[in-house]
Amino acid sequence: MNDALDVALRLLIVFVVFLTFPLIVGQTEHKVMAHMQGRLGPMYAGGFHGWAQLIADGVKFAQKEDVVPAGADRRIFQLAPAVALLPYLLVLLAIPIGPGEGAVGQVLDAGVFFVLAVMGVGVLGSLMAGWASANKFSLLGGLRTAAQLLSYELPMLLAAASVAMAAGTVSLPGIVDAFEWWWLPWQITGALVFFIAGLAELQRPPFDMPVADSEIIFGAYTEYTGLRFALFLLAEYAGIVVLCGLTTVLFLGGWHGPWGADGLGWVWTLLKTAILAFVVIWLRVTYPRLREDQLQKFSWTLLVPLSLAQIALTGIVKVVIS
Amino acid sequence: MAPIPGSGLAKGLAVTLRTMTRKTVTEQYPDAQPDLPPRTRGVIGLFEENCTVCMLCARECPDWCIYIDSHKETVPAATPGGRERSRNVLDRFAIDFSLCMYCGICIEVCPFDALFWSPEFEYAETDIRELTHERDKLREWMWTVPAPPALDPGAEEPKEIAAARKTAEKLAAQQAPPVTEPLADEQARAAEGPTRAQGDSQQQTDQPRPSSSPTSGLAGPPSDRSAADDRPQPDPSAPAQPGTSPRPKQEGQE
Amino acid sequence: MTYALATAVTAHPGPSGVPLAAAAHGFLSPTGVEIAFLLVGLLTFGAALVTVTTRQLVHAALWLVVALGGLAVEYLLLTAEFIAWVQVLIYVGSVVVLLLFGLMLTRAPIGRSPDADSGNRWAALAVAVAAAAALVWVVVDAFRTTWIDLDGPAAGSTEVTGASLFQHWVLPFEALSVLLLAALVGAIVLSRKARAEKSSPPVNSRASAGGSPVVPESRNHPSGGHRPTEQEGAR
Repeated sequence: MNDALDVALRLLIVFVVFLTFPLIVGQTEHKVMAHMQGRLGPMYAGGFHGWAQLIADGVKFAQKEDVVPAGADRRIFQLAPAVALLPYLLVLLAIPIGPGEGAVGQVLDAGVFFVLAVMGVGVLGSLMAGWASANKFSLLGGLRTAAQLLSYELPMLLAAASVAMAAGTVSLPGIVDAFEWWWLPWQITGALVFFIAGLAELQRPPFDMPVADSEIIFGAYTEYTGLRFALFLLAEYAGIVVLCGLTTVLFLGGWHGPWGADGLGWVWTLLKTAILAFVVIWLRVTYPRLREDQLQKFSWTLLVPLSLAQIALTGIVKVVIS
Repeated sequence: MAPIPGSGLAKGLAVTLRTMTRKTVTEQYPDAQPDLPPRTRGVIGLFEENCTVCMLCARECPDWCIYIDSHKETVPAATPGGRERSRNVLDRFAIDFSLCMYCGICIEVCPFDALFWSPEFEYAETDIRELTHERDKLREWMWTVPAPPALDPGAEEPKEIAAARKTAEKLAAQQAPPVTEPLADEQARAAEGPTRAQGDSQQQTDQPRPSSSPTSGLAGPPSDRSAADDRPQPDPSAPAQPGTSPRPKQEGQE
Repeated sequence: MTYALATAVTAHPGPSGVPLAAAAHGFLSPTGVEIAFLLVGLLTFGAALVTVTTRQLVHAALWLVVALGGLAVEYLLLTAEFIAWVQVLIYVGSVVVLLLFGLMLTRAPIGRSPDADSGNRWAALAVAVAAAAALVWVVVDAFRTTWIDLDGPAAGSTEVTGASLFQHWVLPFEALSVLLLAALVGAIVLSRKARAEKSSPPVNSRASAGGSPVVPESRNHPSGGHRPTEQEGAR
């Protein structure tokens, strides 16, 4: 019975994190983006600097009518947001924020594989949405999503494999346990490739070709309204949390820090994740959207060779030091 | 010299980061009123004492958004045995701001300076019919019309003021010096308070004047204008009309 | 079909020899695992059936996702965690996405496709049943007396899988790698050759499109390819 309670408690905590962290990232994006553009952003909702803007947005979304287009494939159309959102919830279960069993939802033996596999499934949601909307723009968005996923999954996987090689394990807590500070310069290429490919997989600017509003309205999500649309948006921000958390755990040493390793490790993890989330927002504000062919070329001619080179480097260093 | 690859990307990141640390340019409008330039075209105010119901504005209006009703009154003879005069009395002056396109032709075309631009802009209504504003409302807006900005240093003297100065000089030449003093005093009294500084600065920047009386005559009319704003009572007799007259001239000059 | 038969074969004689209806052992006891295994197996079988019988192309692909995902869950229940995640990563995450991509790129109407049915369906069924029977027979024959001990240390963990793969099975593994590499290189060669035959006009037009608006003439010109470069050099 105690086991069941433990499991329930962990699930509850992960669920709460899943619901709050994306909102925090979203609110940060509102404010940071506004200030980077010389604006103030939301100022009224909630009183103090618009802190409750996203809650107000949520209420608004919940009140809206849930429209399903007449020509749409009804069931798949309605199922798609869940398929897009759930994988990120599952991934959050496996990301450790501190040392020991207490600081992770569920210790998984093949954590890296689990995380990457489940994140790949999330894209199915976009595909389903794009196809089922009975809208040409949506279909194009779905196609672009699929093309983007196919090309960026590979460098992401290779970069993660490099770290797994370095640590000698594919378990996420195991990788952080094995982390040494000099991994940072050693794996820096892999880290960059992983982060960039992750951005592309989340369809964040500058890789937001699948939702390019000037060309295909909002890609696969064009026909969505109300709560289902909000779920897609939540999936995007949950994706940011997951990607930043993963990059932290895999490449930045998770709970390792210059001091305070005992007891305060989780602060380091959260801090690093927050900084990475800021970088995600920063990149969005700074760079224009890549064109579709540039997007593909960038992955196949730059990221894949770089990640292969990283794997080679990892292998060489690993053999030399052992 | 080829730039380092990626330096452009870094530069872009630096730009956004620098902007983030700077103060934003957002104006919190409902909380803080915007700082509008003096010639803002917000709404049209009516100074109805100047209106002679000549109907020029209504006829020139491209949108036909000005409605004027009037009737004729007979003014009894001023002197016994004199002739009765007739004059137009304004009954209704309304502008439909749902039609108005803020071209300002009515203001340009008014020969008697009865219409003015006011920077007031918060007069939205929930019903389009309520956007037709009658003369009382237009009159209220009249008191929000700001004083025209000072002339540029070294700008040509407005015609009206030049004419006034010439008459003043002629008067001064004709009469003895003590007579000019009270005239200058009177105008200085009309100027009063903050407008004094404006007159002073103008005095400094302008070319040196030969004597004291023309200078005060120059500084007078603009301050008369603002005095008329401070004092909303209809005063059809004297200073308002000459006060408002420099306005179209200045617009023409800028 | 294969899944269901395999399910039946593996599930019925429980590893600990306890009948399915026996009293519960607690949270996810071996019996619980068996029940879950059976249910997931049925689900997988159903999804696989719908995949081949539905008339809606994209639905078929999505049911395939369910079937492959169910298979991954079966691996998981048999403690083969690594294989399970690889299954999800490769099949659900990549192969089905590729499949859907191809479908949407060519023809994916919403609703039924009239030509989604084949006259060969009975022959196909016969082949499928034969293949399933052969597989089941081989598997049952090979592992007749081998049981997975669910209570002990995980027999399918990453470490165990890696060790056996690179110690006992390293030769087949490498042979497969070479095979896949050859396939990869072959695919690239094929796709490049097809493009090279008609590549010259597009290359010219692309090069000159960036250069000047005089493109349409210079395309047929023998020296058309040179002009833009000269212009670029002049700049």
